[in-house]
Amino acid sequence: MNAVPGAGASRRAVLALLFPIMLVNLIGFIVPMLNLGLLSFKEALTGGGIGEKFTLANWVTLVTDDFNRELLLNSVGVSLAITVAALVLSYPIALYIQRAEGLWRSILIVLVISPLLTSAVVRTYGWVVILSDQGGLPSLLNAIGLTAPRMIFNTTGVIVGLTEILMPYMIVSLLAGFGRLDPRLEEAAATLGASPIQSFWRVVFPLTLPGVALGCLLVFVLSVSSFITPKLLGGGRVFLLATEIYDQAIVTLNWPLAATLSILVLVLFGLVLVVYGRAVAALD
Amino acid sequence: MSLDAIGSVGGSHAPGEAGYLSIEALSKHHGAARSVDSLSLSIEKGELVALLGPSGCGKTTTLRMIAGLTPATSGRILVAGNEVTAVPTHKRDMGLVFQSYALFPHLTIAQNVAFGLEMRRLPRVEIRTRVAAALEMVHLSGREDRKPSQLSGGQQQRVALARALVIKPSILLLDEPLSNLDAKLRDEMRNEIRDIQTRLGITAVFVTHDQVEALAMCDKVAVMEAGRLSQVGTPEDVYERPANPFVASFVGRINRVAVEGRGNNAVAFQDQLFRTEHSVIGPATMMVRPHRVAIGTDDGARSGTANSLRGHVVRVTYVGDLLQYDVDIGGTSFMVEAATRGIAAAFRVRDAVRLEWQPADTLVFGAAP
Amino acid sequence: MKTSIKYACLVAGALTLAGPVAAQTVVTVGGYGELFAEKYKKAVIDRFNESQKEVRVEYYAIGSSAQILGNLRAQKSAPQLDLAVLDISVSKAGTDEGLFDKIDETVSKRVADLNPQARLEGAAGIGFTLDNVVMLYSKKQFATAPTSWSAMWDPALRNKVTVSAPPEILGLALSIVVDKMEGGTDFKASTAKGLAKLAELAPNVLTFDPKPDAYAPILSNQASLGVGWNARAQYFADQPDSNLGVVLPKEGSIFQINTLNLVKNRPSGEAATKFLDYALSPEAQIAFAKEVAYAPTNMKAVVPEEIAKRTAAGAPERMIAVNALDLAAVRDRIVQEWRRSVISRK
Repeated sequence: MNAVPGAGASRRAVLALLFPIMLVNLIGFIVPMLNLGLLSFKEALTGGGIGEKFTLANWVTLVTDDFNRELLLNSVGVSLAITVAALVLSYPIALYIQRAEGLWRSILIVLVISPLLTSAVVRTYGWVVILSDQGGLPSLLNAIGLTAPRMIFNTTGVIVGLTEILMPYMIVSLLAGFGRLDPRLEEAAATLGASPIQSFWRVVFPLTLPGVALGCLLVFVLSVSSFITPKLLGGGRVFLLATEIYDQAIVTLNWPLAATLSILVLVLFGLVLVVYGRAVAALD
Repeated sequence: MSLDAIGSVGGSHAPGEAGYLSIEALSKHHGAARSVDSLSLSIEKGELVALLGPSGCGKTTTLRMIAGLTPATSGRILVAGNEVTAVPTHKRDMGLVFQSYALFPHLTIAQNVAFGLEMRRLPRVEIRTRVAAALEMVHLSGREDRKPSQLSGGQQQRVALARALVIKPSILLLDEPLSNLDAKLRDEMRNEIRDIQTRLGITAVFVTHDQVEALAMCDKVAVMEAGRLSQVGTPEDVYERPANPFVASFVGRINRVAVEGRGNNAVAFQDQLFRTEHSVIGPATMMVRPHRVAIGTDDGARSGTANSLRGHVVRVTYVGDLLQYDVDIGGTSFMVEAATRGIAAAFRVRDAVRLEWQPADTLVFGAAP
Repeated sequence: MKTSIKYACLVAGALTLAGPVAAQTVVTVGGYGELFAEKYKKAVIDRFNESQKEVRVEYYAIGSSAQILGNLRAQKSAPQLDLAVLDISVSKAGTDEGLFDKIDETVSKRVADLNPQARLEGAAGIGFTLDNVVMLYSKKQFATAPTSWSAMWDPALRNKVTVSAPPEILGLALSIVVDKMEGGTDFKASTAKGLAKLAELAPNVLTFDPKPDAYAPILSNQASLGVGWNARAQYFADQPDSNLGVVLPKEGSIFQINTLNLVKNRPSGEAATKFLDYALSPEAQIAFAKEVAYAPTNMKAVVPEEIAKRTAAGAPERMIAVNALDLAAVRDRIVQEWRRSVISRK
């Protein structure tokens, strides 16, 4: 018997209201994901067809093939590099915006977010121009006497371009996490003898860790799943999970292998979320 | 008493002879506006001095300049003879208790208190000992591992105090530390802070808008108005011998009447003459403390040299320890306070009464003859 | 999924519009987009529609062979396409999945007139146009056209060559051509000689994956030499003040065979074969070849000189015969070899 009269009815009402979106989620997300999983157990025929039989061949390849291991390590490594670079570059910007006031602050926020209004493809092509050997950043560096490294059509270019493209996400996440910051805390630290650097590392930065964690999660995940930028800036030399999935699905037409790699990426994200959850719990 | 004393030097020092904490012609400008205007003040070692004034008078700005959190536009600040005006905050060896306590939310109580000691690179053992001692001093032992959000306002305030004191600063600054506490707690903390300050002999500056606090706690009170010092003196000086009408009405309750100075220690009001301790000529202000006024039935008798007014009671307010009478003395209201003696009000509304007070209790401000 | 819904609606709309015209069947063809779509419609489809009234052909540009196959897979239970244009290797993949009805002499008599390379064992589709691999050159860098693939290895061309690496067909084709150039005799058994030579090309390579396509870097003179497909290359070379030059080098090239495929359980039934028959005819193929530099598969087609100059039809001796099945068999091996020895080289 319900202790509270009407409790059962209100629960049913809640479920009824949730039903449409659950249905959408089921049709649009769960079922395709299950299909993807099923696909990973299908046989890939030479020539690109999908066989009828079920097989573990794709999963065996995934685990044993050196190339796939390299893909995973590459993807994680490159994405970590991008995440760290984005954090280091975004933090000062976010801090500056946090301390700005009024109209100037709003202008800065708009400036930070507006690149997101442009498609990633356009922004990546912008980087192709900036990083190209002739007339781009390297020629500028050479002109002032530094020897510029090759930054186009290789891993360096991918990291540079993708870091900048993902920075708005990091900045916005950091700003969200800066809510706990109070200028009084920095003043208190100063009166207690903390130099500006000590005040930053002992007070400001620890307080912003939730925002840092969120930003890193977002940028890491977006980085691993990014294939447009690596394809355009990588010059066919940068092999990541995302680009391989694209190649297998679109060029080689090996959908089963592409599906298998996709599931791998999903598992990777699951792990990352677990790590994130633990980190956030530890921070509180 | 003298005229409005602007920028008076406190204590018994003449300008140029500095105390332990010396402020000289300190100013803060924002364009044309001056939030602090050429303020000079000298504070002895071990003194607790209040910066008292209404909001916007510049007291907090002055405190922040002493701490180095707000840069001074001009003027000097000296500690033990050394100029610190250009020294950054973290090198000034001052402790500051903020109005909002500003405890580090991500650190435990013990870590908060230990912070300043860690900045000074003291050995870990010593830090632990001193933190324990500081927490005991503010009666918070046993709560070391709590976070600030788990403590009440009063407890947080005590942590803030411990944190500022544990570093044994040369100067302790307090920015309205009691205003976020409820009345009972405020009184308790007031005494605790005073006790600790005296025991440690630490020089302290205390910003407040509450004159009761200032009078109760401090060795000296510096009253500020619109960026300037109105008067500096002991609580008694400031209460009994206010330098101008502003100080007189800000510190404690007081009656204020516009009168005509006639010289010869007399002023005129409502065709009556009143005796004063000083002579003034022309338009003047007469002020009397409500509790220095005796209220009696209007039976025509006057007692000797007392100043006297007649009127009738307009309102009676009972506040437990006092009875407050608002008396209409012909268009102006005069407040009288009398201690209750456990009996019902002696007078009621519309009663005709006679008010009397001594010339010695009559303050008058105006132009000297 | 989305594209099929989109043109399902379009088809439904087209059908309702076609309603008032008595007994006209609509045949839907799905194929490549852009240049191919525009020219094929103009040269073949529009003429077919004008020449008779029983069948009306509607062409839908879907994208690459992979995308078209993707659509076919998605529609398998309820096909909306009657005919699909696919690269011959993708036709094989689709046949393996049971998506097509076989095209042979019983479907259209013209099949007998076609170049043997237009057919592939195990593929249901039939080749109707031929493209081929060419070398692209920047006119600003080469006053006279280079004649040999070995021009790409010139040390002066550091970071000036673009190449599409396998699994792209261009990369596989280059591997086979270079292997033969280096004396290899059977690419199915080994492409070691070719790959060793290609490893030496690596320092010259600007990118192994030119974007948006192989032609853009040459057009903009960002690269001096590249590898591309003849039909598109000729189109870009024809543009006014074009920087792109096209050459079929003397060491040889490989065909790329585009097939038409009859979709199993298609909506228009037998009407599709009427158009298929026209598409395989010499007139249709020559008309198309005049618009874009694709070579005909119908051996009865008389190739005018202008087409002979711009397509492989003019230099059949240079074409290396490669069976798409063989290519599919070695694809993974060649991909690995590239990744190990060519792309990883600095």
